[in-house]
Amino acid sequence: MASSATAPTAPPALSLPPSQFARLQPHAYLLAHLSPPASSQQPSIRANGRAPSQFRITSANTGSLTHTNGSAVVRLGDTTAVCGIKAEILHTEDIASWSVSHASSPSAPNKRRKLTNPTEKPGEDRQDGSSQAEDDDDNSYIEDFSLLVPNLSLSTGCAPGFIPGAPPSAHAQSLSHQILSLLHSSRLVRSEDLQIWYQRPNLGPEELERHNEDEQMDVDSAQDGSGGVASEVREIKAFWVLYIDIMIISLAGNPFDVAWTAVLAALRDTKLPRAWWDADNEAVVCSDLVSEARKLSLRGLPVSSSFGVFEADAASGWRAVIVPDAEEERKIAESDRKGIQRRWVLADPDGYEEGLAQERVCLVVDKVQQNGKIVIVKLEKNGGFAVDRKQMKELVETSVRRWQDINQILKEC
Amino acid sequence: MGGPIASLHPLSRADGSASYKCPATGSNVLGSVNAPIELPGRRDALKPEDATIEVFVKPGTAPGGVGERHIEGILRGALGRIILGREKGYPRRGVVITLAVVGCDNIARGSSYLPILPALLHTSILALLSASVPLSMTFSATVLAVDSSGEIVCEPSSTDAAAAASLHVLAFTSQGHLLLNESEGRFDFDTWERVYERALAICHGTSALGSDGDVAMSENVDAQPLEGFVRDTVEDHIHREYAWKIDAA
Repeated sequence: MASSATAPTAPPALSLPPSQFARLQPHAYLLAHLSPPASSQQPSIRANGRAPSQFRITSANTGSLTHTNGSAVVRLGDTTAVCGIKAEILHTEDIASWSVSHASSPSAPNKRRKLTNPTEKPGEDRQDGSSQAEDDDDNSYIEDFSLLVPNLSLSTGCAPGFIPGAPPSAHAQSLSHQILSLLHSSRLVRSEDLQIWYQRPNLGPEELERHNEDEQMDVDSAQDGSGGVASEVREIKAFWVLYIDIMIISLAGNPFDVAWTAVLAALRDTKLPRAWWDADNEAVVCSDLVSEARKLSLRGLPVSSSFGVFEADAASGWRAVIVPDAEEERKIAESDRKGIQRRWVLADPDGYEEGLAQERVCLVVDKVQQNGKIVIVKLEKNGGFAVDRKQMKELVETSVRRWQDINQILKEC
Repeated sequence: MGGPIASLHPLSRADGSASYKCPATGSNVLGSVNAPIELPGRRDALKPEDATIEVFVKPGTAPGGVGERHIEGILRGALGRIILGREKGYPRRGVVITLAVVGCDNIARGSSYLPILPALLHTSILALLSASVPLSMTFSATVLAVDSSGEIVCEPSSTDAAAAASLHVLAFTSQGHLLLNESEGRFDFDTWERVYERALAICHGTSALGSDGDVAMSENVDAQPLEGFVRDTVEDHIHREYAWKIDAA
């Protein structure tokens, strides 16, 4: 042929370009990157050029959607999520169990702590360790009346496997559930931010005075010394319900981290208008002054970090006899330190690595602002034998470093 | 409060089945396993060299929702590592595990599934054993609650679980690996380590791993280790099944 005649100098090489090798032998490809031959003097690095405990570049942008109360776009490498939060009003009359269970609990207003200053930044709120009982009471509203409604959609054509317009896959449903249960268990949103009150006029002089002050509706008169009188006549008339919609517009692994970061950023951005019950109209009225709208005061900043475990032995998952017991496992870990490594814990696995990592770890940590104590909000590990106590400790440390990074990113956005 | 009660093969038409009842948490689960079976649907999209594991969870009184999808994913992850899906006859076929929650307190939207997760795990491992699905090892699981004062409550009732500061489910394989951990609530790493120790003691007894049979128990573990419970249930069942042979001998 003509081509063979024109290029006689270079014999046809029997080598594959790296991209083809990666597709044909994904396991061997990643393994070759992570354990390069000693002679090559190359560092152990992932196929995507990251160190094992390195996360992808993260960026966040808030307030891009104007028709929402709060929104955020978060990008983690090639995985991108958009989150929009829309607040709607739920009247207590529409809650079937309301009049029976909650309507007139006289102790509730007294227990309430004074409301946060609206100018305070949400990230710098105080910690709630001292007020445990109050929080339990506080949180039951959010759980009982489903005041937070997250929904995650993967059917956006975000990855080849997901067909647009298809019903939510089991994976998407599972992610929605994880976000909801994390919102509940981390008690991120304060229920008092979502309450809309009615102050029945008690025709006292301080009532008029209160209106003159540039104060919010919710600010309890307990502060100005007349709590006993006024608290009797306050009642919750409605709640804000936050619809948290997350669209993964591009998926390249690790959807939970990016979705949760987007929820965090959007909640920090969320502003609710000042709302009160108007007795004459028998309706909730919202103020359209932007200056009166206030941000949510979130409890802490739980940051999620996910990990995948890559095993050097491709057959370790299914060869029955080979699986060593826990004692041997520890000895192998010893030998790991001396020489050959057998497994790698990869932080923030991308789509390629996720397909190769059976074992997953997801950690959500928060740092208490006052004393710098580390609180774990969620710790999940599934699908493998590699991560035990010792490795878990290291992962917690990695997650704490990640917390710092995300905290910085969210502050700047 | 007694230990858990389990029976193997209560259903006659399934390949394998088990029922499991835990009086402490009030959960009662019936599970069936069909394996290996031909699955309908496109096979080329799945891993051809491995068995497909399908898990279905049906709550007692309500249609399944997103919470069930999540727990199914957790169960599939844990069981997928135990089931030897590449043994002869299994590749390209399905292992279908169906779990019906017969009795338990209602699980509301968005609330935690963790209190009944050990029951689901135990039911599925027993049903898999009863269906003679090849497994690399067995496991046992337990749920622990930590209350606000830092006290650990084993196998909490639903009221304890609701009041707890954090809830933890840990599953250990028969070889002592931590197979699964699901923790939620606010806790620190030291608490988790205490929970880990306690859960390991509940699942395996406090003796060193690998010693056979006689397990020295500490005072805070009042029952038989759960790993032994799985073993005994299967042993009893086989003993009953082969009674005719044993009698004849």
